[in-house]
Amino acid sequence: MSGELATWLGAATPNGSPAWLEAWRTSARERATALGVPGSKQEAWRYTNPRRLFEQAFDEGAAVLAAEALAPLLVEGLEADRVVLVNGRYAPEHGRLGALPEGVRIDSLARLLAEDPEAVRPHLGALADDPAALFPALNAAGGADGLVVLLAPGARLERPLELLHVTTGERPTLAQPRHLIVLGEGAEARLVERYVGAEPSIAHATNAVLEIDLAAEARLDHERIQHDSAESFHLSTLYLHQQARSRYQGLNIGLGGRWARTDINTRFAGPGAECVLHGLYLSGDGQLIDYHLDVDHAVPDCTSVELFKGILYGQGRAVFDGRVFVAQDAQRTDAAMSNRNLMLSERAEIDTKPQLEINADDVKCSHGTTVGQIDPQMLFYLRARGIPEASARRMLCLGFAEEIIGRLGDEALRAEIAALVGDRLEAAPLD
Amino acid sequence: MTSTPAVEDIVGSEYEHGFTTEIESDTLPPGLDEDVVRAISARKGEPEFMTEWRLKAYRHWLTMTPPNWADVDHPPIDFQAISYYSAPKRPEDGPKSLDEVDPALLETYEKLGIPIEEQKALAGVAVDAVFDSVSVATTFRETLAEAGVIFCSISEAVHAYPELVKQYLGSVVPHTDNYFACLNAAVFSDGTFVYIPEGVRCPMELSTYFRINARNTGQFERTLIVAEAGSYVSYLEGCTAPQRDENQLHAAVVELIALDDAEIKYSTVQNWYPGDAQGRGGIYNFVTKRGDCRGARSKISWTQVETGSAITWKYPSCLLRGEDAVGEFYSVAVTKGRQQADTGTKMIHIGPNTRSTIVSKGISAGEGRQTYRGLVRIGQRAANARNHTQCDSLLIGDRCTANTVPYIEVKHPSANMEHEATTSKISDDQLFYCRARGLSEEDAVSMIVNGFCKEVFNELPMEFAVEAQKLLSISLEGAVG
Amino acid sequence: MLSVTGLRANVGDKEILRGLDLRIGPGEVHAIMGPNGSGKSTLAHVLSGREGYAVTGGTASFEGRDLLALEPEERAQLGLFLAFQYPVELPGVNNTYFLKSALNSIRKARGEDELDAVSFMRLIKEKLKVLHLDDSLLKRAVNAGFSGGEKKRNEIFQMALLEPKLAILDETDSGLDIDALRVVSEGVNALRSPERSMIVVTHYQRLLDYIEPDFVHVLYKGRIIRSGGKELALELEQHGYGWITDEGAAA
Repeated sequence: MSGELATWLGAATPNGSPAWLEAWRTSARERATALGVPGSKQEAWRYTNPRRLFEQAFDEGAAVLAAEALAPLLVEGLEADRVVLVNGRYAPEHGRLGALPEGVRIDSLARLLAEDPEAVRPHLGALADDPAALFPALNAAGGADGLVVLLAPGARLERPLELLHVTTGERPTLAQPRHLIVLGEGAEARLVERYVGAEPSIAHATNAVLEIDLAAEARLDHERIQHDSAESFHLSTLYLHQQARSRYQGLNIGLGGRWARTDINTRFAGPGAECVLHGLYLSGDGQLIDYHLDVDHAVPDCTSVELFKGILYGQGRAVFDGRVFVAQDAQRTDAAMSNRNLMLSERAEIDTKPQLEINADDVKCSHGTTVGQIDPQMLFYLRARGIPEASARRMLCLGFAEEIIGRLGDEALRAEIAALVGDRLEAAPLD
Repeated sequence: MTSTPAVEDIVGSEYEHGFTTEIESDTLPPGLDEDVVRAISARKGEPEFMTEWRLKAYRHWLTMTPPNWADVDHPPIDFQAISYYSAPKRPEDGPKSLDEVDPALLETYEKLGIPIEEQKALAGVAVDAVFDSVSVATTFRETLAEAGVIFCSISEAVHAYPELVKQYLGSVVPHTDNYFACLNAAVFSDGTFVYIPEGVRCPMELSTYFRINARNTGQFERTLIVAEAGSYVSYLEGCTAPQRDENQLHAAVVELIALDDAEIKYSTVQNWYPGDAQGRGGIYNFVTKRGDCRGARSKISWTQVETGSAITWKYPSCLLRGEDAVGEFYSVAVTKGRQQADTGTKMIHIGPNTRSTIVSKGISAGEGRQTYRGLVRIGQRAANARNHTQCDSLLIGDRCTANTVPYIEVKHPSANMEHEATTSKISDDQLFYCRARGLSEEDAVSMIVNGFCKEVFNELPMEFAVEAQKLLSISLEGAVG
Repeated sequence: MLSVTGLRANVGDKEILRGLDLRIGPGEVHAIMGPNGSGKSTLAHVLSGREGYAVTGGTASFEGRDLLALEPEERAQLGLFLAFQYPVELPGVNNTYFLKSALNSIRKARGEDELDAVSFMRLIKEKLKVLHLDDSLLKRAVNAGFSGGEKKRNEIFQMALLEPKLAILDETDSGLDIDALRVVSEGVNALRSPERSMIVVTHYQRLLDYIEPDFVHVLYKGRIIRSGGKELALELEQHGYGWITDEGAAA
């Protein structure tokens, strides 16, 4: 079993590492080995077989990217500070960080582990604690770097921070970054996390883990754009922990990769907190895009909204598995989950499973799911105004996506995503 | 919510139909092996093909393990501690009329408020009463025979209509389907067989009252309903059970087959003993119910009102094969005390233009635990398939649980699928409004809950709807507050 | 311009149009009146190419082309415009983007150049004024969250922008209060020209007080049973449809 996991488990921890780090990695390695590769009999992997990831050989890949290769990967007009990771490793030469305000620390995880391990010790692995999750364990064992953002109480990032993750190389590489985002009481930030591939035809793999800890009244706007190259494998697992009256606004765009799976685990730890999860996925030929949400209302008086919309065409497949859990004493919980899908082709497939698990009575919980097509009345209206059928269809698909795209934090990103979605639909056989 | 004492009272209401009827039983000793399977078959004087059919199922069952995915907790079931056959003693040739039926049995029905005579006189309902495992009373045979409708026990059908049984038995729920269905195939005791010939509209609603009686006896009913092209039948199934100390396993199988343009309406009111306040002694109800819409424009409709049993594990389903076939599932389930229910449906859209509707209303009170588990699958040939699902949960008290686990799998672009689910409690505003108009809190809750379930009750035949509403009120009586 | 002969159309198994004849010349305004269920909206939909109607007989030619053989967008590009009775909401579809796409695809079909952004905006603002519509409309999604009156004004605004040769107004007056009716009618009247014809489909005479027709036709049970000048509408107003349909039924 450990044979097929070998690349993922990575090399031994470098000499001179603190004992606690060594122990953490070893325990992750043992856990991953014991868990093994999950099969479709396991509920969490019912519709998404991860086996093919382990049938592929990956290199670790060098953290090297030419400056001219970076340029086409940037979003024009995006006004943000930027940090870049190449194949999961911090690449300061590509970054663009202004002077950081007081109480803000933005750095490489590897560097901090080497030079100031106590700064990350309380946060590393603190939230990613699911003993049954294979990929976060592999990330802990085999990952070496990532981004650390620490905001002291009351600190604010003046500009959005773009976290650009690039996979590159002539042979398939495996990147396993781990990002720690910790906001102190009342701190505020906006993070734009983008995953892109430098080469469209190489099957790179990413297995990212994010641990986001929001103290009371902290606020994070988090846009996550998965636009990996067409052949790649993308895995990302987010653990979010929210203290009282904190607010998290997450926006997930899933466009790229041949096989992409995103897990979002959120837990409320204090009352009055709010978590908003929006998503848009576009799955076309031979693609599989899977979003798993697990929203844990462990305490009373919290609000969560989950709205994911999907467009499927060609032989595209998508999976949406959302679970809202309300603990016994989590009274006055307000949770609304919704998954809407537009299915455009005969060979597409959507598997959706929106679950509610309610153990308190004074709650307002709902979920809704739809799978449908372009409304013929809308189509006729556009055609009756002279717009050709194919354009009319695309226009309506973009209209469907607009509800999510419109929530992106700035015009440059909205334009970028609308153009990406538009281009994909342009090329799609809308049969 | 702070549940008022009145609510607690209603949840805590005693099982109204809890009494034991003293009847001598002819019962096999506990245990299960091939000999027991043969013995069951022999006692029923079955032809060789049935014995073989049972043995095949039994051998397959040995290779299976009990399912563990449902959200229910119970101690492991000792299948060797169960007696697999129990028949009430009766005159040598069996009763020729109701006069010959054991008076204790008739009295039982009267206690339940469903005397057969009254049923006959009032509702025109033919009753095939299953007392424990063997049919002991069948009425209205003549009227049905005139229409060509066959309505008899399945044991009788095995002898009288072996070709029909061979053709259809196990064709919707094969013995390999699941653990409990497989066990049922090996040891089923009796049940009902209905056959509606082509073009016939069954002249009356067919009804069977089930009771579980003999101590420590598993009950393995088997129902098979075949509706030929263009026919229609409405079948009612109602269950109550006497109070008991030990858990009783009930693993029924119901198979429905609807051919071209045929319609089967299957309604259930289930009120088995739920166990005492600690959850002891209630029925384990592990049922496999499935309808096969084989024919074009066929329709199968399941309606259920589930208020009883300690554990319910039940997913009445529809295979929508024929073009334009229609499947429906309407359900009210109540869990209170320590009751656990994992129930729902599967709508498998195979043919084009198939449509399905799911309306599930769950009410959870006390420490009741309830899960709606449903599957809607729209296959690659199911062009223009439509599904609408509505799952609502109502919570009464802060110790209960309501889960919703829908699986939706769509493989055709012309599918239209809508799923909605809500979870809420009875609002204080609603209660106050009713009470300000002079209703007692108990009446107000009853009224609100009945309103919550209305969509489902509307689907029940008239007499049944009245009974179901009454049952719901009784179930929540004292629980209301 | 438009010539319809013996047009028959079904919805499902039901025959709605049963041999309808209609001829419309350039610049003419024709009112088509009739009781509910007479086939007025069906006629509007069949002419504009909506799905769900089976044409079982007859012909319709527009500008010398076989109208019934064309796709809806080809009809629009040829200069046919349907002002919908119930304009559908298009959430997420930006109005400006929509209008620009429609206008440019029609211009392209006419062999004209596509408009650049500046001239497009100039044109659109000019047309907005005619219908007393606010600029903010352009930023909104098409018809989404519009009131009934706004939707109808938006239809006429689109007509002003797309400059059709033949406009079919399908019960444009329904659901409008008197002020909205006046604004919409003024918009329509401003668009009358010797080259532009109109079919005004309506149940009531009221609209014809504002949009004066050249011809009035009474549609009943899928056929035109009476045609006349604008005075016919007034007679209908006085006597009700019974006055004429009884005759029609007798005939």
